[in-house]
Amino acid sequence: MFRSLIAAIAALSFSTLALAPAAMADDHAYATPELAAAVEEGGTLVSAEILGMVCDFCAIAMTRTFGRRAEVAAVHIDLDDKTLQLVVREGQTLDDATITDLVRRSGYQLTGDIRRGDGA
Amino acid sequence: MRHVLTACACIALGAGAADARPVSYEGGWTTIAQSDRMNTGLLIHYTPRFDYSIGLKTEWDRTDDLLFTGGQATWLARRWFGQDYQANLYAFAVAGAAQGINDNDRGARGAGYAGIMADWETRRWFVSYMGRVSDMGEGAHAMQSARAGVAPYVAGFGELHTWLMVEVDHHPEDATPVAVTPLVRFFRGPALLELGYTAAVDEAMFTFMYRF
Repeated sequence: MFRSLIAAIAALSFSTLALAPAAMADDHAYATPELAAAVEEGGTLVSAEILGMVCDFCAIAMTRTFGRRAEVAAVHIDLDDKTLQLVVREGQTLDDATITDLVRRSGYQLTGDIRRGDGA
Repeated sequence: MRHVLTACACIALGAGAADARPVSYEGGWTTIAQSDRMNTGLLIHYTPRFDYSIGLKTEWDRTDDLLFTGGQATWLARRWFGQDYQANLYAFAVAGAAQGINDNDRGARGAGYAGIMADWETRRWFVSYMGRVSDMGEGAHAMQSARAGVAPYVAGFGELHTWLMVEVDHHPEDATPVAVTPLVRFFRGPALLELGYTAAVDEAMFTFMYRF
């Protein structure tokens, strides 16, 4: 019994290590557990590259602007890759024009295409 | 009143040298407490649209013992974007009233200031410039300052960002017209703290900023 418990804890620990820094869902690596959980619940991953993000204030602007939208289940900014990642809740939509406008309202600018689902 | 009108008539282009992003995201609130070798102040501003903010400002001019209180508007005149940099040109104007405090028994008079600020930054390097013309009811005064900074390491979102900076300010009419202030900036999420020291006048400087 005790050996099984140790084995379970060890397995859980290695599993947790394997998840860091990304979280897994359906063999896809996600930047945060919140993104992974939102996709698990049926949401659609969306990603886009952003110009001009150089600090946490930029990232905060983006996460708060998108985070207060009811359609958005999770949002993450990667300053290294200059990307915005968000998950749109199942059954809801957030079209490209709206995403572009929200980025602009945050004070920034999109570059390239907005990718969705497996392409994100 | 004449002084307020004079100040407002100046084309406003900028914000305080220590202000990082004086315009926030739409719907964002920011509080900034700041003290340098000349002034101690508090600004609370709201950003209705991504290219301007409005706020309330109070500032104590410690040299002349004048307390200013008024409204501030800051305009993001232009932002340049790149893959690895961002540059901004800001304008600001403040109008209100200033009155003497402590040993200064001067009554309230119309007062204000206006200025410009430009900055350019990457995740590693930072430079900025600010110029300001103010009138606290006793004639116009100009000042300018510039900053350069380097981040000793590049931090990711949510991590502690650290900057080593040097600010040079120029107050032509002051007994010490030019002063150099080395400072360190700590920055994490919505909070920013700056601590510095101006050896020429033996004064500490600090800035604390929080975004809601």
